[in-house]
Amino acid sequence: MNNGALLSGKGLSKNYGDLKVVKDVSLSVKAGEFVCLVGKSGCGKTTLLSLLSGLERPTAGQVMLDGKDVTSATEDELALFRRQNVGFIFQSFNLIPTLSAWENVALPLFPIAMKTQERERRALELLEKMELGHRSAHLPAALSGGEKQRVAIARALINHPKVLFADEPTGNLDSATGDAIMEILNRLHREEGVGVLMVTHEVELAKTADRLIRMHDGEVIL
Amino acid sequence: MNLHYLTNELYYQKRRTLTAILGLSIGIALLIILNALSAAYRQAAHAPLKEIGADITVQRPGDVPKDLTGVVFPCSAVTIRDDQVKKIEGLDGVRGIGKAVLLWIFDPSRAWIVLGLEQQNSIGPALLRSAVTEGRFLEPGKPEALVEISYARQFGIKVGDTISMAGASFPVVGLADASRAAKIAVANVYVPIEEAQKLAAASSQVQSVSPFSPSDVNLLFIKADQEKITDLASALRNIVDKKATIGTPDSFLKLLGSFFALSDKLTMAASLIAIIVAVLIAFKTMAGNIAERAREIGVLKAVGWTNRNVVSQLLAESVIQCFLAGILGLVLAAIAAFGLSFMNVSIPIPWDMSPTPHFLPGGGDQIYKTLRLPVHIPWILACFGIVLSVVIGGVTGGVLGRSISKIKPSEVLRHE
Repeated sequence: MNNGALLSGKGLSKNYGDLKVVKDVSLSVKAGEFVCLVGKSGCGKTTLLSLLSGLERPTAGQVMLDGKDVTSATEDELALFRRQNVGFIFQSFNLIPTLSAWENVALPLFPIAMKTQERERRALELLEKMELGHRSAHLPAALSGGEKQRVAIARALINHPKVLFADEPTGNLDSATGDAIMEILNRLHREEGVGVLMVTHEVELAKTADRLIRMHDGEVIL
Repeated sequence: MNLHYLTNELYYQKRRTLTAILGLSIGIALLIILNALSAAYRQAAHAPLKEIGADITVQRPGDVPKDLTGVVFPCSAVTIRDDQVKKIEGLDGVRGIGKAVLLWIFDPSRAWIVLGLEQQNSIGPALLRSAVTEGRFLEPGKPEALVEISYARQFGIKVGDTISMAGASFPVVGLADASRAAKIAVANVYVPIEEAQKLAAASSQVQSVSPFSPSDVNLLFIKADQEKITDLASALRNIVDKKATIGTPDSFLKLLGSFFALSDKLTMAASLIAIIVAVLIAFKTMAGNIAERAREIGVLKAVGWTNRNVVSQLLAESVIQCFLAGILGLVLAAIAAFGLSFMNVSIPIPWDMSPTPHFLPGGGDQIYKTLRLPVHIPWILACFGIVLSVVIGGVTGGVLGRSISKIKPSEVLRHE
């Protein structure tokens, strides 16, 4: 199962009471691979993403990231694991409304003992990469949807993650802006070798991915 | 804890911040002003005694004289024996005693209220020294008199005149505006205590009602340790008489009949209610604020904040908010205290402490000591208000922070 895989899930199941949302799913993502998880709304793809990223504990099964068992970690160990290994991009951006763009990017660094100047330097570097250097001091309310998502991508990259988890990253954007965001994700994967596991219900967006995994009713369909 | 995140949160979420701060500040202001008012009434109740340099007055009620002729004792103040005075001096908590003899003298042509005082004692009516408007105060060892200025005007008495009371002559050495100085232990004429003792001892009217030797007195003014006043009051009754009139700040406080003049225990109970209200306001407001931020907390946890990181951030926010609420509460209380300090309070003087015979014109009127309510906020109360706010912030932030930090990020982030 772990043959060259950066991230792997084995026999993953998730139940909410009697409801089985994810049913005995096994999958893996190689280092630098762009994998798309597609399926209709409610098929369990977001839950599977949560299990693989350590946001959620599986009812059964095991998640390994870079050779480490994520499943048995405590809450705080999981938080540290997420801080050091993964980045998240959400459909609704989830920026902190009271923090400026650069502060949102630096949010994962706040609990780390580090000089503010260093945090700001690293955040500004990523914002420049996202062509948002000029918007670094603005609050999220002053940014467009596309700009917010680019800030969220920069935040996901601040800790040099091994893999990015993107949950419908273009879901709240118009098609042109969505294309631009997809272009950024592709570029990150292509040029910087960042592994991406993206959840979407739009098969069209998944065409540029290295691999496509379909889900239906909590199961992976090959 | 990130200070910048904290200040941004407080600054940009103005509605949340102001609601939390205002709510708690009202509770803290209530607590402070309630205690300040209670202390002000206590201080005011001390004023009639403070004017004569005492903390306690003692007098013993007796029988009404058979005839109101010559030298008599008011029925509210009869003999306190010298041996009783010596016992009182030895009581724990007594720091000093002032003695006096109050007499009513009914001469065929005039009635006198005469007070014999110790000229050199700073406890008791000798404080009248500062109220002399003409002439001088009484000097030790001399049989002389000081006359109350309005009485002197009424009867045309001047400094240098000689007045005769119960067959004894006294040169008038000064006039005093006693009404300016005190409301209790005031008289028409003041003489050295030895002279008043001689007059009382020689009076058959006095001796028939209450045997009196030249070393006895009928008024005592006691300076005492503040915390022992209550205990002393009952000890004094045991020595003098079970029915003795013991004037203390508490006895004056009871006469005020105000809610704020209630006992320490009731003030404490009211304070406790104010604290509980403050805590509930803080808890409810902050619980609402934190619940609004569930999604934000989920994001923090998703990007790698541990429970401890989340709790310490929320705790710091809560402590700062409550600290600001404490400051605002203090300011509100100070404004209220300033306003209330313009209020007058009238302290009724009990009839048995009033020296004027009730059958003389004006003698039955209720006498009041009126003064501005001395409302001020002591440093210790101000500090307590602020520290309490910070503690409320710490507890509230800690409890709510721990509770919200347990949420699963996937639960709050999944519904887009």
